[in-house]
Amino acid sequence: MDFSEEIRSKAKELLESGTVDCVIGYERATDGVGARPLFVYQPNDIDRLIFDQTCTHNLTKYLLNRKDKATAIVVKPCDSRAINLLINESQIQRDKVSIIGVVCPGVVKAGLDNTSGELQDTCRMCQQHTPVLYDFLVGELGLEPDVPDTYPDVTGMEDKSAGERRAFWEEQFSRCIRCYACRQVCPGCYCLECFVERLDPTWVGIRIAPGENEVWNTMRAFHLAGRCIDCNECERVCPVNIPLSLLNRKLGKEVEELFKFQAGIDAETPMPFSTFDKEEKLGISE
Amino acid sequence: MKPENPLLPYLSTLQELIDLTPDVKLFRLELNDPDIRESFDYKPGQFVFVSAFGVGESPFGITSVAHRKAGVDVAIRRVGTVTNALHQLEPGATVGVRGPFGNYFPLDEYKGKNIFIIGGGIGFAPLRPIITTILDYREDYGDLVIINGARSPQDLVFAPEFDTWAASPKTKLELTVDAGDEKWTGRVALIPSVVSELKLSPQNAIAVTCGPPIMIHFTLIELRKLGFADNQIITTLEGKMKCGLGKCARCNVGDKYVCKDGPVFSMEQISQLIEQF
Amino acid sequence: MSEFISKQNLLTWLGQLIGERNLVAPTRVDDLLLFRKIDRVEDIVFDFDNTTLSPKEWFFPSSETLFYVDRKDGQTELMPAAIEKETAIFGIRPCDAQGMTMNDYPFLEEPADDLYRQHRDITALIGLACITACPECFCTSMGGGPHDTANVDILLTEVTDGYIVQVLTDKGKALLPDNLLATADVSSPLAPVLSEIPSEGIAEKMRQAFDEPFWDRLADRCIHCNICSYVCPTCYCFDVRDYTDKERIERVRSWESCQSPGFTRIAGGHDPRSTKGSRLRQRFSHKLLYFPNQFGALGCIGCGRCVRACPVNIDIREIIQDVQQLGVKSEA
Repeated sequence: MDFSEEIRSKAKELLESGTVDCVIGYERATDGVGARPLFVYQPNDIDRLIFDQTCTHNLTKYLLNRKDKATAIVVKPCDSRAINLLINESQIQRDKVSIIGVVCPGVVKAGLDNTSGELQDTCRMCQQHTPVLYDFLVGELGLEPDVPDTYPDVTGMEDKSAGERRAFWEEQFSRCIRCYACRQVCPGCYCLECFVERLDPTWVGIRIAPGENEVWNTMRAFHLAGRCIDCNECERVCPVNIPLSLLNRKLGKEVEELFKFQAGIDAETPMPFSTFDKEEKLGISE
Repeated sequence: MKPENPLLPYLSTLQELIDLTPDVKLFRLELNDPDIRESFDYKPGQFVFVSAFGVGESPFGITSVAHRKAGVDVAIRRVGTVTNALHQLEPGATVGVRGPFGNYFPLDEYKGKNIFIIGGGIGFAPLRPIITTILDYREDYGDLVIINGARSPQDLVFAPEFDTWAASPKTKLELTVDAGDEKWTGRVALIPSVVSELKLSPQNAIAVTCGPPIMIHFTLIELRKLGFADNQIITTLEGKMKCGLGKCARCNVGDKYVCKDGPVFSMEQISQLIEQF
Repeated sequence: MSEFISKQNLLTWLGQLIGERNLVAPTRVDDLLLFRKIDRVEDIVFDFDNTTLSPKEWFFPSSETLFYVDRKDGQTELMPAAIEKETAIFGIRPCDAQGMTMNDYPFLEEPADDLYRQHRDITALIGLACITACPECFCTSMGGGPHDTANVDILLTEVTDGYIVQVLTDKGKALLPDNLLATADVSSPLAPVLSEIPSEGIAEKMRQAFDEPFWDRLADRCIHCNICSYVCPTCYCFDVRDYTDKERIERVRSWESCQSPGFTRIAGGHDPRSTKGSRLRQRFSHKLLYFPNQFGALGCIGCGRCVRACPVNIDIREIIQDVQQLGVKSEA
């Protein structure tokens, strides 16, 4: 799949008409194989834009750096959910963003080129091949997911004993170097002062050690419960291969079962954990 | 006698805490170890890290003079977590002291010159030891003009010493506030306008200034208008610091470390820095 | 004729080292390759390009206690941390060893950082010359080379059935097991040829490019995580915090990165490097301009880890090329 021409054509139109000051899309990375984000401010950079199955990045985080500026952005379906999240949480304004949504069959594994056909694990489980929100659509509608089980990775883990799961996660968190790339890339993580930066009180501190790593990773996952839009960026960027998506998707599965809610499908439905509804029961084991 | 490890503090005892303003206290510290106390030598402009153990450590300009052999004084403004913890200590408490770090005002080069000390708020802390030295060695220096400003009368720092300063020969003390109160009968003006009003002469003079960035910015403009060359204007830079040794790589302005190559810089040196803050 | 050790004898020697000191070597951790303390020779990986994290963590750990303070009965006692056990790092690449020499400049400059000095004193480096190179490697453009002997105590170069052994320091000599070495008529393979990056004169070009909007544009895509600084063998910024646990206080230093938002923010809120562009420029200026100005050598040793690890492909090789070109444009 290669939609580079369509993206360039739409970007050119939006820039030259003055509708936007900047188009956030993708270009080829220095290895000649993968992609990287590209900010286009001038029409003469339009030809650098590409779109194919190597375009894995979720670009929506960058919208938070351009809150008061008119921006066009290229989004895959998972990315488009982040835009709904950010609108719902009053972080960006709908009328400042021109959304170029792309119908996405999946992104290939890191290091492989567009022709390889070998999809990332997360894309194999994807339920959403069409963007949930867009101003312009690139690609043909009608691509349906053929994955019956939405959380095979999570149920696989749930089947393990508590002891096995604890040992697994202790091993994973021991490798964490607290680079915070997971937080920095995540569109849901936008607190001006993250809880790890607090000194008074110190929730986590700066020490890089298994106990602190566990608190960091699990608390971040809880802050994303009911908010994570499942773009897998956190896991992709982690330099020590911690399966962060598994944690976030576990909580996503719980929220879906309890509240029949998935983040980012629209921008209006009240979010479960930022809504207080007197009618809700507060039982712990029902 | 420095410890082998420059990241280890000297245990010190807080002798006295004196309120200078609603948010500034003067801390009188004494190093516990007698050998270290004896050999702890520092010059005006240098700084120490003071630790509130268990909370953290922050850098403060030393506001006393070593030649008086009366301990180490720092003036601390309560502005964050560490300074808050320090403010809550009682005399007798144990703190840590690391240092002295940094370069210093080259007072030997100022001998025979007229000195203009221009300071605002807590920025006056590193300037006080220059005044103390000049007063202790009065004959070595020319005229001394002290401009001490603050937001309000109660924010003027080192008020207990104003009479001593004003009474010294060939010395003028000019206090000023941004806004007075019912009792204030003194000058109400911003520091840069006082500089211009006094028509300070650059002839055989050095101007040393320290305070909030905006005050320095406009004071600089006035000094240059009066004809001061950039190598006659001295100031101190600050930066977030963790080691004081140029090793944690945090306080640099371009390729200069504020903790090692500073904190004292002339405007000439600052204008040559590649990074301009 | 060269000093030679057979593969079998090398394994025996490494087994001996495990017995007498800490042996640190590349080993598989899940699907990563990391330098870890080795308990069994079988866990050592010999055939690899390079590790994900650099071996700097064995001299400058990601977290390290500086000292403890105990308060009991009104008395305060300060106890510095100390390192004791002798260590050997096997399998360090010449680029990473050069990286440690670069770190010596700031850490050992008077007054020397005591903990770092202790780590360096008790650790021997048994280097492994590079037979192949990663696509991202460019050490030859940064003052080093795949067979460089300058910064290790011993260098092993793989040949048929074993390794050529070059002993370079007394520390290396003391480590060697004489009865496991032989002489052999083998010559070293040619070093792999790496792509050339135009590093000549880069410091001056960086100075000229300092105020260019280039840095803001590059920073558009930077997410300001800490990955580049943490995987880098020569990044050494650290943060210091105190921790209290009942009567014991611990002062800890940990890795930090000049890329983090708030790196230069002081109490009261002022932040001189609040923009993304100024922070991004700081890292490359430190590596390619300030470090050479201060210490006479480039701060980057061309290992390519940051290139592999950066989530948005900020590529120091590309930056060096672009900055060289910027100079050309402004002259024109």
